[in-house]
Amino acid sequence: MSTFDTLCKILVKDYAIAAESLTPDTTLASLAIDSLGVIELIFAIEDRFKVSVPDIDATAVGEFGTLSELAHYVDQLLANRDALAVAEPSGAALATPS
Amino acid sequence: MKRVAITGMGIVAPGGSSPSTFFDALIAGQSAIRRLPSEFAPSLSTRIAAYLDFDPTLTFAPPRLRMLDRVSQFALVAAAQAMTAAKLELSDDLRARAGVFVGTGMGGANSVEAGYATLFRDQSDRIQPFSVLLAMNNAAAAWIASEYQLRGPSLTYSTACSSSAVAIGEAWRRIRSGESEWMLAGGSEAALTLGTMKAWEALRTLASEDRDDPAASCKPFAKDRNGLVLGEGAAMFVLEEWEHARRRGAPIQAELIGYGLSTDCEHITRPSVQGQADAMRLALASAECDPSEIDYLNAHGTATQANDTTETAAIRSVFASCAEQLAISSSKSMHAHLLGAAAAIELVASVLAMQTGIAPPTINLHHPDPTCDLDYVPNKARCGLQINRVMSNSFAFGGTNAVLVVARHLTA
Repeated sequence: MSTFDTLCKILVKDYAIAAESLTPDTTLASLAIDSLGVIELIFAIEDRFKVSVPDIDATAVGEFGTLSELAHYVDQLLANRDALAVAEPSGAALATPS
Repeated sequence: MKRVAITGMGIVAPGGSSPSTFFDALIAGQSAIRRLPSEFAPSLSTRIAAYLDFDPTLTFAPPRLRMLDRVSQFALVAAAQAMTAAKLELSDDLRARAGVFVGTGMGGANSVEAGYATLFRDQSDRIQPFSVLLAMNNAAAAWIASEYQLRGPSLTYSTACSSSAVAIGEAWRRIRSGESEWMLAGGSEAALTLGTMKAWEALRTLASEDRDDPAASCKPFAKDRNGLVLGEGAAMFVLEEWEHARRRGAPIQAELIGYGLSTDCEHITRPSVQGQADAMRLALASAECDPSEIDYLNAHGTATQANDTTETAAIRSVFASCAEQLAISSSKSMHAHLLGAAAAIELVASVLAMQTGIAPPTINLHHPDPTCDLDYVPNKARCGLQINRVMSNSFAFGGTNAVLVVARHLTA
């Protein structure tokens, strides 16, 4: 399942939004998700994707124009997380010198 | 001083989810006390409570529901009923100075406990993002104010078991002094959690389950009483300046005429005859009412050894020779003790007692206690009474005694 599809699943389940109204161009603002709603959405994203959204990015998430931009941001988090996992396969504190 | 009308009542309580169904159950002597179905019930030494079969999804959509602790859900539903009953059309001017006073003992207990369970039991390193907003004690009042756009004061009173009497009494004072034209006031409690029930259990104040009938476990004023039973729910009132209510042809339910407040200073839990009597005397004085004019008294009547004996002595002290003629009952024998919401739901019972001329009974009173020797309307409701004034007592751990007096409104 693509990141966008997973985001849509969260929105349908937690926000009672009709699936057919969600497109890559849908904005969070048009879904009436306010600043508190964004905090909650970030929590759900962290849970579902097993990523950590830094505090510094929390405001930015709310300012994403569309769901496709949000999906892109989550993909970046996933890529960063996976890169870190390759660098630290055992979760050791020391990174392997390149 | 202005007069204060009750023009709307709403209730979500054990035994009924409207004023009339709640009162019908009381006068039928029906107990709402049952065995708790909760998963944690087997770990309790007493597994009974007056819990609500309440489905919040029928009222609140998912995104909103996630921001509402059970205590706020109850309060919002009760407030909506009261507002509908009052038929108050809200102009901007009417919203400007009106406010919400809510009493609650434990606030968002369910959310507090859910957070701890996530951290300590589930070993998670984080809890739900809205935990603060769910759990804060002023949440119920804040949500109601927001719902109806009431821009005056929104205050939360927490004086344990007298919380909602204080909320209602302070709202009465505010209207009486002319500071507000109308107010929403009442109380809500939703604390039937493992932690809360274990805490009450540890204090050894909970009733043990009646062997033959769990519903008969709460026995106020009886010799075999052995403690209180916990309940949950809410009641809210629209209180309105009398002339304002009359001018708009409001459905006046009763007049709130007196409020007395005192503090026991002897002990953190042990009630004091003087403290309780002081609150009753102050309520009578503010109502400009003689003890002989009270026709029915809805007692605090928790069914603890200490309360019922002390309250009886305090009533004797205030009512003197009139005490013997006074119809007194503890409706807690049926709806249990709603802590911070107790006074509010008992005020609903008090208003309906006046309107119907029926005093609800104290059920489970089969073995009289010589130290509780007044007329507690034992076991069966008393019909055909002329009830013009009612006193409603609420006392509390911490010693805040609050007493309300209501008068019957005779429609022209």
